Amino acid sequence: MGKDRWLWIAIAAVLLSCLLLTCFGGVAYWAYDKLQLGRPEEAERPGPPTPTLQPTPTPTQRVVRREAVLNLPGGEPPTLDPALAQDVTSAGYIVEIFSGLVTLNPDLEVVPDIAERWEMSQDGTVYTFYLRKDVKFHDGKPVTAQEFKYSIERACDPATGSVVADTYLGDIIGAKDKLRGLTKEVSGVRVVDDYTLEITIDSPKAYFLAKLTYPTAFVVDRENVEGPHQPWTDRPNGTGPFSLKEYRLGERIVLEGNELYYGEPKPALEGVHFYLAGGSAMIMYENEELDTTPVGLADIERVLDPTNPLNEELTMVVPTLSTFYIGFNVNRVPFDDVKVRQAFNYALDKDKIINVVMKKMWVTAEGILPPAMPGYNPELEGYPYDPEKARQLIAESEYEDASNFPEIVLSVPGGGGAAARSVTAMVEMYRENLGVEITIEQMEWATYLDDLKAHRFQMFGITAGWMADYPDPQDFLDILFHCESRDNNTEYCNLEVDRLLEEARVEQDRDKRMGIYQRVEKMILEDAPWVPIGHDAEYWLTKPYVKGMIYPPSIIPKLKYVSISR
Amino acid sequence: MEKARVRRILVEQARAARRPGWLEFWRRFRRNKMAVVGLFIAGLMFFTGIFAPWLAPYSYRETDLDAVEQMPSWKHPLGTDELGRDQLSRLIWGARTAVIIAPAATLVGLILGLLMGALAGYLGGRVDALIMRLADLLFAFPGLLFALLVAATIQPRVEAWLRAIKGLEGFVKAGYAQVLVVIIALSAVGWPGMARLVRGQILLLKEEQFVEAAVAIGASPWRIIRRHLLPNALAPIVVAVSMGMGGAILAEATLSFFGIGIRPPTPSWGSMIYDNYSFWRHPAAPVLLWVPGLVVASLVFAFNFIGDGLNEALRPGS
Amino acid sequence: MLVYMVRRLLWLPVLLLLVGLITFALGLYGPGDPVQVMLGPRANPEAVARVRHELGLDRPFFVQYADYIWKALRGDLGESLKYRGQPVGRLIASRLWVSVQLNAVALALGVALGIPLGMIAALRRNTWLDYLTISGVVAGISLPTFVIAPIIMWFLAFRFRLLPTGGWDGIFSQRIIMPVIVLSTGSIAVFARQTRANVLEVMGQDYVRTAWAKGLRERMVIFRHVLRNALIPIFTILGLMMGSLVTGTFVTETIFGIPGLGRLGVESFFSRDYPVIIALTLLVASSYTLANLLVDVGYWFLDPRIRYE
Repeated sequence: MGKDRWLWIAIAAVLLSCLLLTCFGGVAYWAYDKLQLGRPEEAERPGPPTPTLQPTPTPTQRVVRREAVLNLPGGEPPTLDPALAQDVTSAGYIVEIFSGLVTLNPDLEVVPDIAERWEMSQDGTVYTFYLRKDVKFHDGKPVTAQEFKYSIERACDPATGSVVADTYLGDIIGAKDKLRGLTKEVSGVRVVDDYTLEITIDSPKAYFLAKLTYPTAFVVDRENVEGPHQPWTDRPNGTGPFSLKEYRLGERIVLEGNELYYGEPKPALEGVHFYLAGGSAMIMYENEELDTTPVGLADIERVLDPTNPLNEELTMVVPTLSTFYIGFNVNRVPFDDVKVRQAFNYALDKDKIINVVMKKMWVTAEGILPPAMPGYNPELEGYPYDPEKARQLIAESEYEDASNFPEIVLSVPGGGGAAARSVTAMVEMYRENLGVEITIEQMEWATYLDDLKAHRFQMFGITAGWMADYPDPQDFLDILFHCESRDNNTEYCNLEVDRLLEEARVEQDRDKRMGIYQRVEKMILEDAPWVPIGHDAEYWLTKPYVKGMIYPPSIIPKLKYVSISR
Repeated sequence: MEKARVRRILVEQARAARRPGWLEFWRRFRRNKMAVVGLFIAGLMFFTGIFAPWLAPYSYRETDLDAVEQMPSWKHPLGTDELGRDQLSRLIWGARTAVIIAPAATLVGLILGLLMGALAGYLGGRVDALIMRLADLLFAFPGLLFALLVAATIQPRVEAWLRAIKGLEGFVKAGYAQVLVVIIALSAVGWPGMARLVRGQILLLKEEQFVEAAVAIGASPWRIIRRHLLPNALAPIVVAVSMGMGGAILAEATLSFFGIGIRPPTPSWGSMIYDNYSFWRHPAAPVLLWVPGLVVASLVFAFNFIGDGLNEALRPGS
Repeated sequence: MLVYMVRRLLWLPVLLLLVGLITFALGLYGPGDPVQVMLGPRANPEAVARVRHELGLDRPFFVQYADYIWKALRGDLGESLKYRGQPVGRLIASRLWVSVQLNAVALALGVALGIPLGMIAALRRNTWLDYLTISGVVAGISLPTFVIAPIIMWFLAFRFRLLPTGGWDGIFSQRIIMPVIVLSTGSIAVFARQTRANVLEVMGQDYVRTAWAKGLRERMVIFRHVLRNALIPIFTILGLMMGSLVTGTFVTETIFGIPGLGRLGVESFFSRDYPVIIALTLLVASSYTLANLLVDVGYWFLDPRIRYE
């Protein structure tokens, strides 16, 4: 026996280390779970939610499928705080849990939400919002104009650390000062009475209301935000059609229909489950684990085949508010010559690339504005594919021949995915049609952004398109092509274009305004700082029992329209 | 009967003694059949890599958008990829990238490791402690994350630096700046292992009489390391180098898998995998994704077996 | 031994300090501004500058680092830059548990299959069984995750639809099967290889020959003498594998969409989420070092030869 002592010790050591490992993990898990959120019964209790310790649920607890529960693929939201949200993933959850003065309907028009109506002063700088009187937070507390003032000031408070407050609320008088920490209040927001809110902006801006549809301007509950449980977004007390029931980091988010919801239609779903932990959404859909899924490049051919049963469940969605393009820095050789830029427009067979390489996941872009954008010009004719014309233009340019070009570097953000494969195809197409050698410089997103901001690129884009944050052409044309704009990465500058853009900023007549933008778009196309390539198209598969699913090209509250009938 | 056998063995032993070292080595190496197969595969890679321009039936970069994702045919034995490029030609050109990266990364790691390990092992004391603590430090890093960070950090610098040197712009243009970046990142992660191994060997050998004798007659430390210690520590180092080659091919593919590696249009097996990864359930996936993957795997396999074979051949005792 | 252990333990904080310093430096001098990634392509320079200031990223390098260490010592690892408002400690704790479970299952499988496999191969040396095991083992070591994963996914999840493609639902769910297969091929191979080599070595030792010569029964010899001594080095590997918890799962967790530490590492690398990267690196470095230490101590207990030296 004595001889075997070491054997026993060895076995004990293994067991002990396993035990230690488990304990370590267990402690970590316990700590994590203690901080975890979302206890359903608390959400219904009036008053500020107080954190209570709940018994640890078993980690393997499975989601029970109920009739009125919708199962969706989802991404991990970087935040659920409306003031901080700046990405589509976060915004997608936030618009369901919170709401604001105004919102977008499925046609992307600005419509009343908590504000049932509003008035605008003659000079277009003072907005008076009249709030609904039946709006309550998830815990039953009524919403008044005070809450809005608090929310806007909180979003502009430097301590909140919102990076988008400037973009969405910066037009309000006093907001910029508050952001710099100079004042305590935002003077442009005034509470007239409990249900009347007055907002003054620095100059008439037709797109101001559209900006208020973004989460930054949404209403939050002060007691919730400043309450003892932090981070408070574990148990957000919002006003939206759904409330957060459970959020398991990296695993799932569960929303529950809000019975106190004031708007129409009332949410028909009992709950919505977002599955955050990956796997292929497409396969999960085919295995009946998800009720709807986007279709990616890998599956699209299979699904587009009419003999495939899945084909009947397919919806092709209006292109989103984005445009993919090749940008030229118009101050860098050889793209300082407009003829060279036009030649690059003519020499690209966009249709072929979109049909063959992108498998129709893009639709061809003729101009700059995406089709879902107000002011989109369906009659606009872009550059046709004409390599002959392109070579001729280069011959007419100051360079006379492509062999006189300096080295051309095309910078694209890497990260693979659908768009990446088209880059090589385009470079090869230019080589074939124009005889130019283009070096591809594929960089990581983080590095790309640095260099883009510093205008270090000669030719860039393709895998990173431009996506509008709010449906207004200003968010494309003015921001990207005004000489003074910070996001003018092509350094394009045309004083006539600037004049028109400034005119459009204050034009109150919608049709006239769109007319101006259409003229501007044509002028910019003529000068060719861009080769517009395509707009994102989306394909969705949806089970036949899901009714009322909509696929808007922008982030809007959409789950309240959905119901399930088997 | 018995006598005949004994005589045969004696004769064989005498022959073995007369045979030049490498022949004897080859005889022993050959006994491990898998190692021979490995040697063949690795040889094939080097051959393909060196003669890629003559072996590849098509260009590795010319696209044909009218013939994408074709299944294997007589014209394209491995079919065409998502841009209509011949898959076989791309694999062949990918071997060239591998032939540059794997030996170079291993070599840089080897030189660094030898230098550091030999110094630490021979000089001992403070130097030893310093070098080994440094190696510990690098060991403690999560390897892949470290390689990714290093690659991302030095990438723009290496490119700018190469562009600044006259005559090397073309090098950048041809996509070799990335190759250099990958080599540096891989050897930064790889040298501590080699250093530890070398140090261990040298510590063992230092006790041997022939070293003591060399010290006694006043040979310089450098000479002792070079003439006495290294040659005798060779066997495990050679084995480690062989395994390291496989490791380097694998590491390059892994870096590329995360998009930090060789970039298009320079063909590399890793980036072929990366480009097609999200298409794992596409009908063409077996050719576009599995084939480059299996090529990488078979080379790692080959170098592992070569290592085993070398191990048996170089260690007479085993 | 005690002196040695204390020295090693004293070295740990120094090591962590240096590891943190290097990661910090790579982060600060590397390309890619975390604030810019955070704010996206349309952020204006003022906002970037403001946020940099708020996060203290505009301070001198050593001030930032000292501040970080000071806070870390008090248990505050900072907030994630990507997941706004999430404390890094909490982010890591939640992911750690997932990785621990996944690795524990894969390791257990590796031990349970690898050691018997290695033993059989060694005892039946130079038979077809041995050759098969060796080739299988080397194949297991050579097959990179990103090669084997799509192939088994194609068969199990796509072609025959037997298993879900990924995700995480605890260890008693079908979802764990594929990642465990992928992760354990490596560990089975390593254990089998090591066991085989050790068993062969021990069988050549004098005391085993003596045991045979004494006419002990086969089972007796193998269990009493061979196995016990052959298994000691296995502990080294086991310990080291436990120590390198994160590193092994970068690719697997990314591919199968498992919310563990490996995926967190990759995610935070791409969003330049330095508070998370540094905390992860420190975690890996300390667990690696501690595991090494444990292995050494274990050796000291298990192998009398070491103690008498």
